[in-house]
Amino acid sequence: MKPLTRFWLSATTLVMAGFLAACGGDKKSLHLFTWAEYIDPDLVTAFEEANHCRLVIDTFDSNESMLAKLQAGATGYDVVVPSSYMAAIMWDEGLIQEIDHAKVPNLKNVDPAYLKTLAFDKDMKYSVPYMLSNTGIAYSVSKLGDVDPSWAIFDRTDLKNRMTLLNDVREALGAALKFKGYSLNTTNQAEIDEAVEVLKGWKENLAKFDSESYKPGIGSGEFFAVQGYSGDLLQVMDENEDIGYYIPKEGTSIACDDLVILKNAPEPDLAYAFIDFLTDAENAAQNTEFVYFLAPNAEAYKLLSEEVRSNTAVFPPSDVLEKSEVIKDLGEQNQLYSKAWDRVKSGN
Amino acid sequence: MKPSRVPLYTTLAVLAFLYLPIVVMTVQSFNAARYGGEWKGFTFSWYAKLFEDRSIWSATRNTLVVAISCTAVSTIIGSLAAWVLHRYRTRLQRLHYLVTYAPLVVPDILMGISLLLFYVNLKILLGLGTVILAHVTFCISYVAFVVLGRLQDFDYSLVEAAQDLGAGWGRIVFRVLLPVLGPGILAGAMLAFTLSVDDFVITFFVAGPGSSTLPVHIYSMIKHGSTTVINALSVLFMTVTFAVVVISQFFSRNRPVH
Repeated sequence: MKPLTRFWLSATTLVMAGFLAACGGDKKSLHLFTWAEYIDPDLVTAFEEANHCRLVIDTFDSNESMLAKLQAGATGYDVVVPSSYMAAIMWDEGLIQEIDHAKVPNLKNVDPAYLKTLAFDKDMKYSVPYMLSNTGIAYSVSKLGDVDPSWAIFDRTDLKNRMTLLNDVREALGAALKFKGYSLNTTNQAEIDEAVEVLKGWKENLAKFDSESYKPGIGSGEFFAVQGYSGDLLQVMDENEDIGYYIPKEGTSIACDDLVILKNAPEPDLAYAFIDFLTDAENAAQNTEFVYFLAPNAEAYKLLSEEVRSNTAVFPPSDVLEKSEVIKDLGEQNQLYSKAWDRVKSGN
Repeated sequence: MKPSRVPLYTTLAVLAFLYLPIVVMTVQSFNAARYGGEWKGFTFSWYAKLFEDRSIWSATRNTLVVAISCTAVSTIIGSLAAWVLHRYRTRLQRLHYLVTYAPLVVPDILMGISLLLFYVNLKILLGLGTVILAHVTFCISYVAFVVLGRLQDFDYSLVEAAQDLGAGWGRIVFRVLLPVLGPGILAGAMLAFTLSVDDFVITFFVAGPGSSTLPVHIYSMIKHGSTTVINALSVLFMTVTFAVVVISQFFSRNRPVH
């Protein structure tokens, strides 16, 4: 009977440990709710040391599930990192606080060009931009040589069955809209119709519409040109010297994740300190070098290494950036796109 | 007549189906290439990265604390529930059966959201405790039904015989019930442990700040993470699991069978 008693004792102890572990020590903690591997761990340590606190990171896998959780009333988080469109929704829902600019002196570093052209929240009323990524084209340098940086590459019949576009209506049709010189958030039926025709032409040359296997596909040389997200493609390029990247000159879609402070944040002061810390030029540059997305921080641009600055996937040329847009949630008008997508897919 | 080769091939095919993915994953965890497919040389760098990654370790610790606590609690409650369900056939027990059955068919997302709303309304702070509680809620059902299956073959006259011979309930439980039901309870406990380690949807909703588990972390890596580190972690997990199985078999072989 002894071993059994010991078993129950240890089991109860473990259960107790579980409940106890839920409570922290006496140090203050800042709770960050974000995507995995989205901050340089060295910066986490530096922030903890500078502010005598713990920085606890929890992660979510989609904007929507994060919103559902917070709407249901989950509390305890201070700073959240949603995509821009979701930050706008959270603001409308009254989940996040207004940013007090006096508490974040480093906001002056944030790239004014980004705020003016791309940002939804142009005055940083409720959000501070954290990281930008873009959609571009990765191509095989040895097979294609010098290419004209344009969406027109998908017209090339000599690359038939060796190219892919993203299996996402807003990205694929958005590429065609940009190619035609229209906004990728257009709700004009005539413009969408034109783009559908372009996309149907491209479809003839594609291997497939694909959002997953294009990464190993371009890496192994199966595909010669693929539309994809900069973050993914950079990882592939890291391992394969033969892959080049460009952002089409007609413009592309840009995605931005923002820093926001929850209304019921337990530690608002630490939250402000954290945002100020991340918008500091040196820290923003260090973070960009680590996560390989671009922190839109004008002062930090000067500190970036030559390697990053010359990498268009991380650091898009400013004239292309000006022509680019952030994909907006169009609400009821989204059906214009889903119908157009059906037409492209079915070929009618 | 020559014995048929079909069973042999079937066995081999099933074994390959079960273990090939694990072999592939193990090999990939030493592959220098981040994306599967091409072999770019042998490396330990993913393991090195794994040991430096604070967030993965805290998620692993959370996962183990939750899984072990949840297994301990749900195995006890689940086994008791099974015993009662088997022993008594009143209308209350029919209701009990339904209540125990429900978590098996309720979609995870519903359970996650409703548990979260429940905690929020009762002003219970979210943390590891709430995750353990949520896991216990659905693990009880699995344990109960596994043990119930074992009870179908249980001959109640064994208990009566023990009583005839003068055994009290304590002795009956430890000398008769546990040895006979042991394998069923153990299977239930293992199932509960696996389910708890696996669960993403419910955990995501009921986890509080600082109590993310491994599945929650891994799902979030879809956006930026490198799965190779996870390959390395899985290999370590697998090694530990196999070691435990081998050791436990070694010990059980030396003991007389009941």
